[in-house]
Amino acid sequence: MGILLQLLFTGLGIGAIYALVALGFVLLIRAAGVVNFGQGEFAMLGAYLLVIFFNLLALPYWVAILLSIAIMAAFGVVFAGATYWPLRNRGGLPVIISTIGASIFLENMVLVLYGPAAEQVDGLFDAPGIQVGPVFMDSQYLSIMVIATLLVLLQYLIFEKTLLGKKLQATSQDKEMASLLGIPVAAMILITFAYSSAIGGIAGILIAPILFVSTGLASIIALKAFAANIIGGYGSIPGAILGGLALGVVETLGAAYISVPYKDAFAFLMLLAFLLIRPQGLFGEKISEKA
Amino acid sequence: MTLTRRTALASAAAVSSFAIIGRARADDTVKIGVCSPLTGAAAEVGRIQLNSLKLSTEHVNAKGGIVGRKVELIIEDDATTNPGVVLAFSRLAANPDIAAFIGSIRSTQVNAMAPDVAKVGKPVMFGGTDPTLTHNGYKWLFRCRPNDSFSARVIADYGVKTLNKKKWAIVASTDAFGTGGQKALVDALSKAGITPVLVQGYSNQQADFTPVVLAVKQAEADIVASYFTFEPDLAVFARQLVQLGVRIPWVGSPSIVSPVSVGLAKAALNGTYGIADFTPDANDESRAFTAAYGKIYNNAIPDSGWTYDAMQILALAMNTAKSTEPAKVRDAILAIKGYKGTEGIYNYDQNGDGLRGYNVVKNEGGKIVYDKHIEFDA
Repeated sequence: MGILLQLLFTGLGIGAIYALVALGFVLLIRAAGVVNFGQGEFAMLGAYLLVIFFNLLALPYWVAILLSIAIMAAFGVVFAGATYWPLRNRGGLPVIISTIGASIFLENMVLVLYGPAAEQVDGLFDAPGIQVGPVFMDSQYLSIMVIATLLVLLQYLIFEKTLLGKKLQATSQDKEMASLLGIPVAAMILITFAYSSAIGGIAGILIAPILFVSTGLASIIALKAFAANIIGGYGSIPGAILGGLALGVVETLGAAYISVPYKDAFAFLMLLAFLLIRPQGLFGEKISEKA
Repeated sequence: MTLTRRTALASAAAVSSFAIIGRARADDTVKIGVCSPLTGAAAEVGRIQLNSLKLSTEHVNAKGGIVGRKVELIIEDDATTNPGVVLAFSRLAANPDIAAFIGSIRSTQVNAMAPDVAKVGKPVMFGGTDPTLTHNGYKWLFRCRPNDSFSARVIADYGVKTLNKKKWAIVASTDAFGTGGQKALVDALSKAGITPVLVQGYSNQQADFTPVVLAVKQAEADIVASYFTFEPDLAVFARQLVQLGVRIPWVGSPSIVSPVSVGLAKAALNGTYGIADFTPDANDESRAFTAAYGKIYNNAIPDSGWTYDAMQILALAMNTAKSTEPAKVRDAILAIKGYKGTEGIYNYDQNGDGLRGYNVVKNEGGKIVYDKHIEFDA
């Protein structure tokens, strides 16, 4: 029983990481109708900024974190200008390809500028974790779970309860109509990119103490975060969270009780199963219902 | 002086001749092709290996080069992938002036490029430790590190005879390196009458090792042996081993003592043992190499000397053969006996294996301390 509880905790912790990155995907899907495959690289850049400000420049930890998040938000605007804006009227596919290209560029840019050495960075708390009965709760996993929950709440409030959120959703659904209603469409999209990039940066900062900081950081999590987004329901905030958590738990239990080497396969089998049986995901709407 | 057509043509011819002679001089080098991970997951390891290789090339050139000619490296990025190394090797192989090659430290990559190596028919020095690489009939592959049949035998020997452990858990990557090491270790332990209580594979670049750590715990092992390919994986495993309360001796393959692993895992690796083909203070050659390396690269300590040795061995073989002709170089490499390199004493056998032992070292508070060298005759 103790082992099962430990596996569940770890699965939820890993799942929270996927969920955090998936949140960034959801934001852009909902507000700009864009699938950004550079989302994992946002996490990588956030983690590297923390290394630069905290490890190299020795700024206070929280100053380094806030500075990293602020720079990531600004970077989101630059990213939008480079990958989305020039192609915004050419449909979804060119933008997706553009974000894939940007992700490759960013990874290699970091490799050239910073070098290939993986870096270790401190977590939010000095204590490695707490022992609760048979379960060791890693303090960083706990932090991720709490912050992911807070970010979901914040995101839900922004999208559902604020005028800004309504404007963002209106922009996503019909840009022309939103523009006719006086919504500054361009500003809404840039805000979304900035917020999405900042969320990605936060994810990177939180997972850096667990997975270390390297250019490979993005590839470890980005694909699974995207899978979590599909499983949860394309563009659904609660879906991204639940999809991420489910993915983390399934792959951890699958690895422990069936096969460790096939751990990654469980995640993608789950994705395949959803695409076949429930393509709209856990919280998605059927297209036919929208008509 | 007036410029006539004749003087203009003569001048042009003279300039062209000088250019051709100059080019011939610049081209009059012994070219060695290098497939190196400049990018990708092993880029950091690749950087250190390339630094060592450049240093070795400088030393060879300072002693007169190869058959009186300077050595020139032609480097291609293998991107730490199998398709990458095949592409890198094919680019190099297209250059007929390249006399020999230096390949990968990763067995899976050497496996991938081996068929092309056979077609090209020129010596390739490599560092991958999968024992089968030199036993598949590929006569142009020459190893500059001891293979995993020896690493496994050293791990088994040290764990059984020195640490007196009987209940073994083996954790290994499912790639060619890990699988090869795991099989060799199971074999070495079976010769000591031991069947491991756990043999656990994992796929590279994992975010979490909890299922593996819990499997070790459940198996009630009294020692863990490992073959990790990537240092971040090893560091995550090390930290979770401590967090989940598994406190048993751990003897790992060389990645456990690499500066990258030690830097990432920090205290989580304290007290662990590793086998190392290269240890800075193992012998006079490794001490001299480490000092020279540190002088150039800001007191950094190299984690491997195999690329340094590879260049020295190629130079020795070509100078002995007085030729860069592949067949003569091959014979000269296989004839090398008792060559003292940074990785140990090379005695090449007919398969292309030169080394038969490892150093055992211990991590004492982040410092890698040499314990003993265990060598086998065959």
